[in-house]
Formats: sequence, structure tokens, C-alpha cells
Amino acid sequence: MNRIRRLSVALTIASALGVAAPVAASAIPTISISGATASYPLVSLLAQKYVKLKPHKVKFKIAQGGAQIGINDVASSRVSIGDSSRGPLEPPAPPAGLLFTPIAKYAICVVTNKSNPLSNLSQAELESIFTGKTRSWGQVPGATASGTVDLISRTSVAGVLTSFQTLLLGGKSVSKLASEESSEGLLRQAVENDPNGIGFLSNYAASLGTVHSVGYNGVACNKATATSEQYTGVARFYEVTLHQPKGFVASFINWITKSAAARKIIASQWIPLS
Amino acid sequence: MTAPVQYPAAGLVPFSATGPASPTGGKRAGSAGPGSSSGARRFLASLFACLRNPWPDRRAERTLGGVSLLVSASVIAMIVFVGIRAWPIFAHNGISWLGPGGNLETEIGNMQATSVNPPAAAFHLRAWPLVYGTLLTSAIAVVLGLAIAVLSSIFIVELAPARLRKVVIPVIRLLASVPSVIYGLIGVLVLVPFVGNHLVTASEKASEQNVVELTGAGLGVAAVILTVMITPIMIALICEALIAAPTSWREGAVALGLNPLRAVLAVTLRGVRPAIVAAAVLATARALGEAVMIQMVSGGRSFEPNPAAGVVFFYEPLRTLASAIVDYHEGVGAPALKATLYAFAALLLFAACVLSIGGYLVKLPLRKYQTRG
Amino acid sequence: MSTFAPHQQKGRQPTSQRGRQSSPWSWRWGDRLVLFCAWTAGLGLCLVSAGIVIYMGYRGIEYLRPGLLFSRPAISTSQSQSGGFLDPLIGTVLLTLIGILLAGPLAVISAIWIAEYGRPSWLARVVESSIEIVAGTPDIVLALFGLSIFQLGLFAPLSFRSEAGGVFGRSFIAAGAMMSLIALPPLFAATREGLQAVPAHLREAAFALGKTRITTIRRVLLPSVRSNIATGVTLGVSRIIGDTAIVLLLLGETLHIEAQGSVPGLNVLRGTGSSLTSYVYDNSPAGEGAAPQKAYAAAFVLLLMVLALNLLVDRIGRSHQRSMGLSVPGGAI
Repeated sequence: MNRIRRLSVALTIASALGVAAPVAASAIPTISISGATASYPLVSLLAQKYVKLKPHKVKFKIAQGGAQIGINDVASSRVSIGDSSRGPLEPPAPPAGLLFTPIAKYAICVVTNKSNPLSNLSQAELESIFTGKTRSWGQVPGATASGTVDLISRTSVAGVLTSFQTLLLGGKSVSKLASEESSEGLLRQAVENDPNGIGFLSNYAASLGTVHSVGYNGVACNKATATSEQYTGVARFYEVTLHQPKGFVASFINWITKSAAARKIIASQWIPLS
Repeated sequence: MTAPVQYPAAGLVPFSATGPASPTGGKRAGSAGPGSSSGARRFLASLFACLRNPWPDRRAERTLGGVSLLVSASVIAMIVFVGIRAWPIFAHNGISWLGPGGNLETEIGNMQATSVNPPAAAFHLRAWPLVYGTLLTSAIAVVLGLAIAVLSSIFIVELAPARLRKVVIPVIRLLASVPSVIYGLIGVLVLVPFVGNHLVTASEKASEQNVVELTGAGLGVAAVILTVMITPIMIALICEALIAAPTSWREGAVALGLNPLRAVLAVTLRGVRPAIVAAAVLATARALGEAVMIQMVSGGRSFEPNPAAGVVFFYEPLRTLASAIVDYHEGVGAPALKATLYAFAALLLFAACVLSIGGYLVKLPLRKYQTRG
Repeated sequence: MSTFAPHQQKGRQPTSQRGRQSSPWSWRWGDRLVLFCAWTAGLGLCLVSAGIVIYMGYRGIEYLRPGLLFSRPAISTSQSQSGGFLDPLIGTVLLTLIGILLAGPLAVISAIWIAEYGRPSWLARVVESSIEIVAGTPDIVLALFGLSIFQLGLFAPLSFRSEAGGVFGRSFIAAGAMMSLIALPPLFAATREGLQAVPAHLREAAFALGKTRITTIRRVLLPSVRSNIATGVTLGVSRIIGDTAIVLLLLGETLHIEAQGSVPGLNVLRGTGSSLTSYVYDNSPAGEGAAPQKAYAAAFVLLLMVLALNLLVDRIGRSHQRSMGLSVPGGAI
């Protein structure tokens, strides 16, 4: 390739890079956020609204990676806010000094395959199923499936698993027999495809219509019952900060927890705090 | 400015110092200029001249070697880094962390729970199910894949008519380039439900229900998809070698009365054994390192499938080292879990090392089949 | 792969002049079985390949339209309003460029050194082994390694230092650098194979004319292995396009490409974004599963991209061979 062609190729690449980059404004502070993929849509919508309401005040950089990664990032000061789908561990496992501010609620629903429309499970029945004591559907009252109970759970790094165990299983752990899926999507897919499957999902994923959501202690699992606090299996999304947030980070978090516009966004698909 | 006198490695006296095909393309980095240039300009000029005039071989060899060493130095730095991060697991468990005993999920849950200041007990690890799962899936995939690859290569090179060959080759190249996440999706959407709902019988499920769940995601699906993933790599290498093998061998065999296919099998295939070994080594390395796809279709339980269980062997779930790293990579902040993940990585790197050296050693006695000119 | 260059003629005569060919009907049963198996294997793989592409198309058909390629993704809770995947597409292209630009020179130079010089031989063995080790490393390990490295303070200019003070460590440069490690082994192997297959008489003729070794390499050998390099680049690019783990860990997975800083060009490199594979991963059942049909449509687009890339490079490699008039690897003497 002669020199002219080389130069023109280099120029094309450089201009392509330049075109692809949105023109960067200068000196607007950035709030960097990283964390759970489950709350990414929520936090992105909130950030979008915040920027619209208060233009040119802050910019947002919202990355995903998982709740645990978000918490680690905040602890190491790599980001200002971490999104978490689980609360602080009890006893609080350090890194110390992390502040968990709840911003929204979501319900955790027990789900079964559509061919097995189990209407309700009591806490005792649920515990006995998920701890591996009841191994066949014949022993579960109300189940139309027959055969082995296929427990489908999440990997131990998942926030939803911790919340599920604390809120719905009375603190007991899911049996080691369960297969561990690494994401909500894979768990939902597994329950969709397995007539003998049973698992747990956030209320949004459970309401998409491909799996059947089971009542808990007589209460159906949906947004309405969770909002009215009838349904007890309700976990929270948290914004995690290192110590008390200050400045524009604090104003953003205050806006989320207090303003009506933020509440409207949260209520669209999730459950507001109050 | 005189160009340095160069001698080619063959030791012949050069025709002329710069020759008719001078790399400067006819333009020289001009002379330093008459007299009064500043020292900086002369330095720059000599720098450009140094870069544009033909280099002496020694300098070229040293530069090229330097760059290559840079590449391998960064790889070695990565290996050392992984080893250092993995050290705590070796320190607490010795080599027996590769052994059986203990439940991996409990151990990892422990590491998660003790998070930032783990006591020594948190580093307890027995990862044999992972090692066994890795060996099992890779072995099945490589053996199966090798058979399919050899047959397909013979098909492509010898049997397929030219028009069919033009279609088959891009198609197989496509197979080699499909991202592993798509293979994983096909597995989760098509293969796992098929196996789980149509192949696994209720009685088989019930027979294992207190030990493990048979949902369809397991060894069988993982091994099949892994085979499909690594076969195109082997096909490429073996095809290349088959094409490069001298036709005189095959023609001699045909002249002696063998039919064309048998001639290929008996003669050419034996002659391309170095390529088959190279293909197997490359494919094994790829199979060992496959993480995302296996994580999606292998069932998410560190279990050791039992060959004595018959057909059920292929339905049992398992985990491999690489898929475990993907499963737990989020928890890399907890020191015990970080050391564990890096220990898995160190083991995989060690395996790649062994493969590389092993392949080289196996190919040494096969050197006599080198057909290159 | 020079294998996928036009079949060399090398003394192979046209079928009509081959003389009496034995028909499979006269072969032994064992040979007929092998013939059948060979045909099945070859066609079977083709069917699998076609099946994968068609299945992804069928699954994503609801949202499959060209407009997706040109509209930016938007945050929305419903699939119909969540836009297209322009940003992930640009992200993939950008990562590929960075990866190949970094890997290309390194791989070719290493291959040249190994094939043409390679002294002392134990050092050459070390270099070859280390590249083979990289080939055998899972991409998740490279991603973890990259994450640890790029979060060091030393590399802060390559991503960004957050307002809280720590180094974020995830950017296009970080992901691209690890991608180059992924693309290095195929390119290296292809170039080295090509160089080893160049007949000795080419080198000897150049030496006889008085060229030095480095000049021979530059003016004679490199042009003759251009098709091998092209093949290696295709393989490397395919591996980069298909990689998920590095993108998930090292690119930050922001929905839009978010530049960092104010230097045009460099700000994109330092910024975060997503790629088609991470888009597919996040939106399909592999991740949250919130937009599965869009994800399948993106997967279909990805497959078409890879196919087009392969065909393109194949075309280039073939036309180069014709124009060079050179018959490449195989000893056609």
C-alpha cells in the first residue's frame, strides 16, 4: 500500500472515531454507577429523568457487572454508587463503612412450569421442597405434575438467592441438590422448559407470562399484593455508597427517594418504597 | 550519507550496498544538510535515516526478537500473576485441593460469606469434581471431534465435487466463528429441553432424585456442543495438511491397486499425522478453555458423572473449571474466592502449558513426514 | 487458512483424463462405510451450520429489520420501544479494530522471527509455547487478568479515574488489549505456516541477488504470505467478534457508547460501551432475558456479519493470489 493510501486509511479511522464519539461537554461532574443487572433498567431510567429535569448539572456513567461487583467497586472507590439487589449481609461482612440506601422494592415469586399451576404453598411446604426433603411432586398438595421435583436455584453470588433464603425460606439454605443458574433469564428458561421445575424469580420476570407464579402463604405474588405489603417476600434494590454520600451524589439519591417523578418511574414496573 | 555495508546471512558479497529494490523507495532521508544544521536536526535526520535505510541483519534480528520476547514476556507475566494470586489456596490446602471430598458449593458459599477477612478455614477447597468434569467433557469432545474432523477433511479434499466444496468451506468456517454465547443459547433453547423432556425418562429421574437432578442440562449436551465447536478448527488444519501432502504418495498407492479412498486412508492420512496431532492439541486447548457455553448447558452442579450408571451418565450435570470461573467471577472481591478462581485459572494455564510442550514432543518423531520444501 | 484458498492444481489432472476410476460399488464394505461416514460428516456439519443461522433468524424474526442496525438502543421496559443496536454494533467494530491493530504487527513480527531467525532455539521454543498457552487460556481468565491490571493506578489514563478516586479499569482500550491476546495465536500460526511453506528457492534467489535477510522478508516473503496473513486476520477477527467474557468484564456494559474526556477519538477509546455479544448475552435468557427476540435478531445479525467477513476475506485472498501469480504453499515444484 503506498503512502497516500496508508494516510487516507488512518484518516478514515480517526474520523470514524471522532464521529462515533458524542461531543463531550467539559467540567460537568460525573456520577459513576456500577452494579446489578437487575436494577440497571431502573437506575438508567431514573438517571435519564434526572438529567432531563436538571440539565447540565451532572452526567451519569452507569455500568453493569453484577451486584457483588458493584459493591466491590464502591468499596474500592472505583465508582460513587453501587447498585445492589441484596441488602447488607448480617453480620455485616466488611468492607466496613458501606451505606445501603433502599430505593425500590421487588417481590420474589416462586415459579413453576405452566403445565403445573400450583396455586399456593405454605412456608413449611416451601421449605420442605427447597431444602430437599420433599423430592416428588406427588407429595405436594395441589401439584398436577408427577415425578421428581427439579429444584432450580441461583449461584451463591446472586443477591436474589440470599433474599429468597432470608425472606421465604425462613433463613434456611436451598438444598445442594438444586441446579444453580447464573442469571434470572437462565432460571426462567429452565423452569419454562421443565414440567417438573420449580424456582424463584423477581415479580417482573415472573409476570411475563411464560411461567406460573405460585402463591405464598395464601397470598398471590404480584405487584399489587407486594405494594399493599400483603405478600411478605419483598426484597429491595439498594444504592450503596461509601459512608454518607455528599454533594451531587447525595442530591441524586435524595431525589430518588423523595421526589414524585422518581416514584412514578419506580412504580411503572417495580414497587415504590412507600 | 553512506548506507552501512550489509552482508546477507548467506555470506555472499552484495551486488551493491543498497540494491535495485531499495526499501526507501527511491527517496532517501536526505543528507544532514550542508554544514550549519543544529545538533537536533542532525539527530532527527540520522534517526530517520536509521529507520528508512535497509537495516543490517543483526539489528533486524535483534529488533524482531525483542518484539517477540515482549509478547512472550507479557504472557509469562500473566502466568506469574495468576500463580501469585492463586498461592493462598496452595498454601492452605497443599496439592490436595485437586482431590475429592467436600462439597464445592458449600465451600464457595463459605468463602462468599466470610468475605473480606476470611479465617484460614475459609480457604478449604476440594475441587476434584471440577477437574473431573473438565477432563470428561474435553476428552469426549476431542475424541469425537477428531473422528468427525478426519472424515470431513477427507470429504472436503477428496470426495466433494468442486462446486460442493465451494459451499462447504465457507459454511464450516462459519461454524468456527460462531460466538460461544450463541452455541449456549441453542443449547438452552433447543437441546436441553429436547434431552430433558424426550430422552430422560421419569424413572431415570426418580432413580437419581436424592443424589442429583436430571433436567437435561448435563454432560451429553455440553459434550455435543463442544464437539461442534472444536471440529472446524481441526478440519482447517487437517485439510491444509491433506492438500499439502504430495500427490505422488497417493498416486503410488492407487497404482498398486488400492481404491482412491483407501489410498488416502492408508497412505496420506498416515503422512499427515503431525497435522492431526497439532489439530488435536489445538482443539483440546480450546475445549479446556470453553467457559460461557458450558456454563449455560451443563447443569450448574459440581457433580461427578458416573460412567457405571449407563445412559444416565450422559444426563448427569457437571461443572468444569472454566465454567466455574464464569459462574463465580462476580465474587472476585472476597479474598478466599479470588484465590480459588485464580487457582482454577492457574490449573488451566498449566494444562495449556502441558499441552503445548506435549504436542511438541509428540511431533518430534514425526518430523520425517515433513513435506515442506 | 490457505486450505480455503483455491485448490492447488499441483499435477492433479482434470477428472476426464484421470483414467478409469474405481467405482465405490466395487469397494470393500469397510471402505464403503467410511465413504458414507465421510459424506455424512461433511454434509452434517453443513446442516448444523445452516440450522444455527436459520434458527436464530426464526427466533428473532419478529424484530428482524434493517432499521435495527441504525437506531440507538434506548432504555425501556418493553421490547418494542427499546430501539436498535447501533451502539453495540459500533462497539464490536471498534473492539475488532483495536484488537487487530494491536495483535497484527505483534503476531506477524513474532512469526517472522520464529520462522526466519529463531536463534537461540530454546528462546524460540519459549516464544512459541507462550503463544500456544495464550491460545489455550479461557477468555474469562484473560478478562480477570485484564481487570486486575487495568484497575492499577498506572493505567488510569486508559480508562478513567472516578470522582471517588479509584481507577474504573473498564474501557475500550482495556477490552481491546485483551482481545488482541485472543487474536494473536491464530494470526501467528497462520503467518508462520505460510512462511514455512514458502519454497526455499524464493529465498535463495533473493540472496543470490544480494538481498539481506530482512529485505528478503520484507520484499519477497511477506507479499507471498499475504493470503495466509489474511486468513489469520479472519480467524483472529472471528475470535474477537465472538468473545463474550472479556466484553462482559472489561467494557463496562453501558447501553450507549459513553466517551470519557474531551480528546476526540481518544475519549471513545477510554470510554465504555457494549458489543453485540454482550447485548445478546444481557438481553437473552443468558442474562436478564428482558428482550429475547431482540437478542436473537442481534445474534442473527452477528452470524451474518461473520459470514460476510469470511466471504470477503476469502475473495481478497483469492484475488491476491491470482494477481501475484504465485502458487503458494504446497511445493508445486
